Amino acid sequence: MIANAADLLVGASTDFLRRFAPFKDMEADALAFLAQHAVLAFHARGDNILTPEMGAPRHFYIVQRGKIQARQTGSTTTTEYTSLNLGQGECFPIGAISAQRPSTNAYVAIEDSFCLQISTEEFMRLMQMSPVFHLFCTQYIAGLLNQSRRQLQTNFSQRAAEQHTMTTQLGQLIKREPVCVSADTPTRAALEQMKLQQVGCLVVVDQEGRPVGVLTQSDLLPRVILADFDLLRPIGELMTANPHQLASTASAYDAMLEMAARGVRHILVVDAEGLLRGVVSERDLFSLQRVSLRQIRAGIDNAADLSALQRASTDIRQLALKLIAQGIGAEQLTQFISALNDALTRRIIQLALETHDLSGVDFGWMAFGSEGRHEQTLSTDQDNGIIWRCPEWEKPAAIRSRLIEFAKDVNASLAACGFPLCKGNIMASNPALCLTLDEWKSRFGAWIREPHPEALLNASIYFDFRVMYGNERLGDQLRAWLNKTVRGNSAFLRMMAANALKVAPPLGRLRDFVVEDGGSIDLKKSGARLFVDVARILALRTGVDSSSTAQRLRQASTKMGVSADEVAAIVDGFHFVQLLRLRSQRLDTEHGAPGDNHVNPDSLNELDRNILKEAFRQARKLQTRLKLDYQL
Amino acid sequence: MTNWLGRLLTPRPGAGPTSAASAHALKHWSDLPPAAIDAAHFETRYIVLNTEASGLDIDKDKLLAVAAVAVDRGVLNPHDSYYGALAPAPDATLAELLLFSGKHPLVVFNAAFNRSVIERALEEHLGVTVASLWIDLYFLLPALFPQHQDRPARLAAWMESFGIDTFQRHHALGDAWAIAQLLLAAQAKASARGAHSPQALADIERSYRQQRSRL
Repeated sequence: MIANAADLLVGASTDFLRRFAPFKDMEADALAFLAQHAVLAFHARGDNILTPEMGAPRHFYIVQRGKIQARQTGSTTTTEYTSLNLGQGECFPIGAISAQRPSTNAYVAIEDSFCLQISTEEFMRLMQMSPVFHLFCTQYIAGLLNQSRRQLQTNFSQRAAEQHTMTTQLGQLIKREPVCVSADTPTRAALEQMKLQQVGCLVVVDQEGRPVGVLTQSDLLPRVILADFDLLRPIGELMTANPHQLASTASAYDAMLEMAARGVRHILVVDAEGLLRGVVSERDLFSLQRVSLRQIRAGIDNAADLSALQRASTDIRQLALKLIAQGIGAEQLTQFISALNDALTRRIIQLALETHDLSGVDFGWMAFGSEGRHEQTLSTDQDNGIIWRCPEWEKPAAIRSRLIEFAKDVNASLAACGFPLCKGNIMASNPALCLTLDEWKSRFGAWIREPHPEALLNASIYFDFRVMYGNERLGDQLRAWLNKTVRGNSAFLRMMAANALKVAPPLGRLRDFVVEDGGSIDLKKSGARLFVDVARILALRTGVDSSSTAQRLRQASTKMGVSADEVAAIVDGFHFVQLLRLRSQRLDTEHGAPGDNHVNPDSLNELDRNILKEAFRQARKLQTRLKLDYQL
Repeated sequence: MTNWLGRLLTPRPGAGPTSAASAHALKHWSDLPPAAIDAAHFETRYIVLNTEASGLDIDKDKLLAVAAVAVDRGVLNPHDSYYGALAPAPDATLAELLLFSGKHPLVVFNAAFNRSVIERALEEHLGVTVASLWIDLYFLLPALFPQHQDRPARLAAWMESFGIDTFQRHHALGDAWAIAQLLLAAQAKASARGAHSPQALADIERSYRQQRSRL
């Protein structure tokens, strides 16, 4: 009889839940579980249902009737919404309960409301038993990530808007009122105006204000001084008549073309009536950000010398800013940066090869560390080396010294283009890093056989190698050999794992984050590295060839049977840390300080802080997995 | 107590349990200590009782089914409920109802009918009288929510005021489910007024009734 009553009431709950997503799509047994365990409670208008002060939530709520408001708390409420109303069928909290941390929102009943609730344990159980519900929650958290990305976008769009591109209309580039005189003005008076107004270009206009001529500073030497021109004569006799004009709606690109075609430095800008609006100089156009991927790429590939490459390297940084402003994800962003830096490095190598004859030498230019992983940020030291093969008839010593001389030039050029020389001398010009395939094998082999601390540190840098110029097959052979050798040596992997676990995610028990002395978190050492180190081990263990962290995680997980959702969450976490690194570097660079990978969590807004926490939790998850796998 | 125990031991026809199981349940129930009526709502277990009868005439109509829903520490749990028809063994059903209800405060909507039919059936089939605290939402609700209904109103009106619906109206359990939700709202409202206990609810209800009878 008792079962009968319960069945009726559970059935009623089920019918209710069936009306709303994600419950209506949930597996039958999961829905039954939820309906079985959901109890109903009342929250009077104005009641706090859940606040950050209450600690980790003990219940998961589904609004049965009424209205609950989620309010952002804390001082840095700059996210997309400051409050959000939840109505019938909507549920909360998701992020906080999944992560077992205090909610960042305060949930307040703004009407008398009834909520179904299940306990945290039941929520976890539901996540486990229902892929649909699990997906719903992951997507919700991913949504938070998107929000943060959009937030990032707004932060930067202001600055981006101030930047002009080559498609900007000339009208917007005019910086000041033009200095103009009539054609009958005595030349001395006109020149005095030029001096007084500090302009390089004087426009002569007719009575209506249409330009009839122009005089620039560069005209003065040939036409006035050398020609001994009488300064009492009218300017009309001195000026260049029929000056080049463009409509104010023409683009900066048009002006650039016009200047290039006619060899002039100033373009007069006129409105639809032909009246003078202003003057755009060559310098105005140069100050535009020439930052499109294609342009930079073309600039790099066509660079004739180092100074052209230096300009390109500045452009790469500016492009990075633009891309962040456009809300691009960290993965694509680092890929762009990596692709452009690769192009830059290749061009530097090509230029160096013009002075170093290496024809007939079979070699590859290797990148290590973050560059090897395609994960360069904006302040990356160079980490490089050379892999080569010595033909049987040649003397190795001679080739090596030629390669080293060549490498010295490349290292110096890279330094000139903003990649500081490596303090640890991890550079191709270091004879210890200019090795043949066999020498690399024996070097790597020694570390694997005797994994003392330094060997493990080396492995964490060098095992992320890739060949970015020259014979890639040398790199492939080394990779294949390395994967094979490591896989047969579980003791080495176990040592690598122990090493990777030395740094824990900076998540606090009492406070959200464990910070360093200055109140900041090192996003490289205590952030990105947590993911990178584990990914390397998983890749070595599963024989994944890729050197990129995201790819390693994805490919290794497929082999290890980890679900795609789970990996996606981990990769998202990694990328978020990378995005924050890039952002802090960017902002720092603009203040003139070197990017230092440090972020003060207090300076982040609520949402970013949450996502950062979530990212660290993902790192912890990865580490836990490693701990279990290697019984550490 | 000794009075009805005595009757239990020497059952009269038509009064007292007829089966051993019912007698056992009844014995267990009678041994329960009385529930505290001055504890806070969030510590208290309330039992919402409701009935289904052949009609609304208390003298003529027969009790057909009983339902009970617990509001335990401010939460309504579907599993914490009871529903039973009186036929064919009314004593068994009523004994189960008593066992479910314990001696906790009892809440009904419209005591004049529901409490009466339940008490009468208990007396008739089991020969017992319950000494629990009774609370009648029919009077308590208008006392607490005059802005919704300024006088005692029908259950349907209250459900509409609170937007409450239930899976089946005029079914003992269906209505009990709705009444239990009204009790949740009443607890919250009463607490806000400083009435934290079952006794305090009963006091509000009583003074409201007295006030009305003076009108």
